[in-house]
Amino acid sequence: MFNSTKQLYNYFIKHVTKLFIITLIFAITIQTFNQLPYNLFNHFSLIHTLTITSLTITILTFYFFNKPRTVYLIDFACFKPPSILRVPFATAAEHGRIILASQPKSIAFQVKIFERSGLGEETCLPHPLHYLPPDPYMIDARDESEIVIFSAMDSLFKQTGINPKDIDILIVNCSLFAPTPSLSAMVANKYKMRSNVKSFNLSGMGCSAGLISIDLANNLLQVHPESNAVVISTEIITPNSYIGKERSMLLPNCLFRMGGACVLLTNKRSQKKHAKYSLVHVVRTHKGSEDKSYRCVTQEEDKEGHVGIALNLDLMVIAANSLKSNISTIGPLVLPISEQLLFLFNLLGRKILKLDLKLYIPDFKKAFDHFCIHAGGRAVIDELQKRLRLSSEHVEASRMTLHRFGNTSSSSLWYELGYMEAKGKMKKGDRVWQIGFGSGFKCNSAVWECNKDIGAPNNSAWDDCIHRYPVNEPEIVKI
Amino acid sequence: MLKYLSPQNCLSKGKKMVSSKIQNSIYNISISTVVPGLMSGHDAVQELSAMDLAMKLHYLRIVYYFKTPTFDGFTILKIKETMFNWLNHTYITCGRFRRADSGRPFIKCNDSGVRVIEAKCRLSLDEWLETKDDSKHELLVSNQVLGPDLAYSPLILVQLTDFKCGGKSVGVSWAHVLGDAFSAVGFINLWAQAMIHSYPAQPLTMAQQHNWACDLQNPKPNPYPLSVKRVDPVGDLWSTTSNFKMETASFYVSTTELTRLQAQICGKKVDQKVPEFECICAVIWQCLAKVRNGSGPKAVTICRNDVKTRDKGIITNESQTIGLVKTDISAQDYKPFELVSLIMNKAEDERMKIKEAMDRDNELPDFLIYGANLTFVDLSDAPFYEMEVRGQKPVYVNCYIDNVGEEGVVLVLPSPKGCSDGRMVSVTLPENQMAEFKSVLNEDWAIA
Repeated sequence: MFNSTKQLYNYFIKHVTKLFIITLIFAITIQTFNQLPYNLFNHFSLIHTLTITSLTITILTFYFFNKPRTVYLIDFACFKPPSILRVPFATAAEHGRIILASQPKSIAFQVKIFERSGLGEETCLPHPLHYLPPDPYMIDARDESEIVIFSAMDSLFKQTGINPKDIDILIVNCSLFAPTPSLSAMVANKYKMRSNVKSFNLSGMGCSAGLISIDLANNLLQVHPESNAVVISTEIITPNSYIGKERSMLLPNCLFRMGGACVLLTNKRSQKKHAKYSLVHVVRTHKGSEDKSYRCVTQEEDKEGHVGIALNLDLMVIAANSLKSNISTIGPLVLPISEQLLFLFNLLGRKILKLDLKLYIPDFKKAFDHFCIHAGGRAVIDELQKRLRLSSEHVEASRMTLHRFGNTSSSSLWYELGYMEAKGKMKKGDRVWQIGFGSGFKCNSAVWECNKDIGAPNNSAWDDCIHRYPVNEPEIVKI
Repeated sequence: MLKYLSPQNCLSKGKKMVSSKIQNSIYNISISTVVPGLMSGHDAVQELSAMDLAMKLHYLRIVYYFKTPTFDGFTILKIKETMFNWLNHTYITCGRFRRADSGRPFIKCNDSGVRVIEAKCRLSLDEWLETKDDSKHELLVSNQVLGPDLAYSPLILVQLTDFKCGGKSVGVSWAHVLGDAFSAVGFINLWAQAMIHSYPAQPLTMAQQHNWACDLQNPKPNPYPLSVKRVDPVGDLWSTTSNFKMETASFYVSTTELTRLQAQICGKKVDQKVPEFECICAVIWQCLAKVRNGSGPKAVTICRNDVKTRDKGIITNESQTIGLVKTDISAQDYKPFELVSLIMNKAEDERMKIKEAMDRDNELPDFLIYGANLTFVDLSDAPFYEMEVRGQKPVYVNCYIDNVGEEGVVLVLPSPKGCSDGRMVSVTLPENQMAEFKSVLNEDWAIA
């Protein structure tokens, strides 16, 4: 009995706004009928009836055609790197030691990171980075792009059965490799897409670019009716291996690994029954106006001229602040009234009544069933778990993605979603919150609602190893 | 690029320098690592036996030569894919050394992998093989040793060199601590099998440990056996420096020449038959005695395959007999036939003594076995030529042992066309004795 009461309460809270409006309309209608004398209806002529009817129809038509189109996610595919490219801890530590032979402090630092990184023994690097020292050429970067993107695209086509010629919008995001012709042109060429495909190539936007691409696709699908959009999120690592010794720039070498994902979105209502998810909200927060946030992740040359990505020491603080901003926007959109009221009272208490209260972080577990936190590193996941008061089950997908695939940048959110599907956790009506962080400093969120119960997919990136997960990764791994 | 070959742990100091013309023909060197494809070692600990530790200062360097079109169409990535499948079944060789609290080394099977070196040669395979310089083979295989960073030194290095004509050489450097030459060749042949997707049922393992009870009661320990030479502690750099530069020469002894040698040795005893290996040993022993003019060698070490204890799928140092043959007078004063009988009948297997010397106290002494005395190693049965790639056997296999003692080492190897076609003999001696040895061999026994 308590369960059904609780469910009733949750349902009430979820739909309180709609219920309120319906009650109001009923109240007004009943009042109006009470007020009006019955014989008023006899005075309505045909013209009056027609006008009121056509007005109602016009208003309804206007409403239906102008309401935001629902964007559906039909399916997505993640790239599974061939295990020949894997980098066990011991090999990574050995290579680091040989390349940095003259810098024992940097070696010690790197080993410390490996021990605490949360990465497993199966993460992969592209072939040119297995050399001592890595000396990649541009053609190697193109090769990696082709391997990652084409492999994921082939899987997507197989899973969805879609024809490349049916793709209307193509968006590719890859932060650190932007050749000419672009990666989106490379895809259009490979799959012989139509000449009027709307292609976009986003570069330089960091690890949160995956959700930026989704937002762009969403906006385009509002403008173009009956369209399919493919979003490809990846990070090409080949040209970005850092061979210098600055400690602030060594961290990406230890964490970034090969990965990529392709997502098929559509606004066609006929596809609703085939779609896995529907997009509910996308919220983007940009903290670039603050200098500290802007400079916390920068690609630059070190004193010896080696290019690398420098991470500032206060990265976690800045990430937490950007998350706070994002939450303050997304909170009212997704949180139930109870949590919003609690937050409001807390705000009033602190600001107006000047009471000594701690800032109340709403309980997002009431709004979402699943969380995909960007697998940027163990520290990121730990920090978010603490701030959002999530259980270890909620962050399991993020931790396990970090373990199996490493930090795959913008595509990590899709690997996490793939993990949850492979574990059979996705049920109809479940809500998923994807949170991405990236240079800029940006924090982006996307909210999806699951359209149908999803069974474990065949041929996913997880299918040969999901039975081994979850693993309990110790705090420190001895190399 | 070359600095990553860690010059401080290369054995270039004690070796005769290759002519610069040959050295310059090797270019475009790049180094990478190939790991086992699937997690195989799981950080397991592999203990080493006393015999393994006794052999730890030696390295086997084997070069396989393949004519075109054996490797035609094989990109480096495809070759690495076959290696990665191969190494799934040989995770011990992909590990790295650690030391226990007692100081005893062991292998941690952490999937670190093998080092792969790619190089190109400006000459064609035929031009290369025809070059007179015997030390040229050293350029096609890594000369790295283990240490000084023991925990980060690969146990196996594979060099793939492309010749101008399309031929390829595969140079494998094998740390003897893992096992003897038969083990090494067995390991390499698994790669040939992996290329045709034929994998062993079990991964390669090391031989089971037999703990021999040592005589702890004995207050006066036995002196070290004659077959070993104790060297100063090497610490974590497993190599030694010698006063002499060592040189290796290889020559072919055909069946006809072997028959003639046997006849020369047996003399009038027509019903006696002298086996080929002993025959070669006796000949070389006498030549060297002549070169060294009575100052030895008064003891030689004979290493042979102990077929009885050798199992398939095992890498070990326990299945090679280490026999010591002593003489009271110089070998010069013996008749060759007497030397042959000494070798055949009077070789005492010193393996037990070596193990006892190693395990005796917790000091873990450092030994040289090959070259402590003039050492003869019988590898004529080793399946070098079973390394078939796409059905093609190697046209030639060169093998030598690196980091040996000053007394010299002689390897008797099968010839490319099989044992019925004679033998290849590889002789490693101090540089200053080589020329004289060659001339004595030519004069007394008519072998060039």
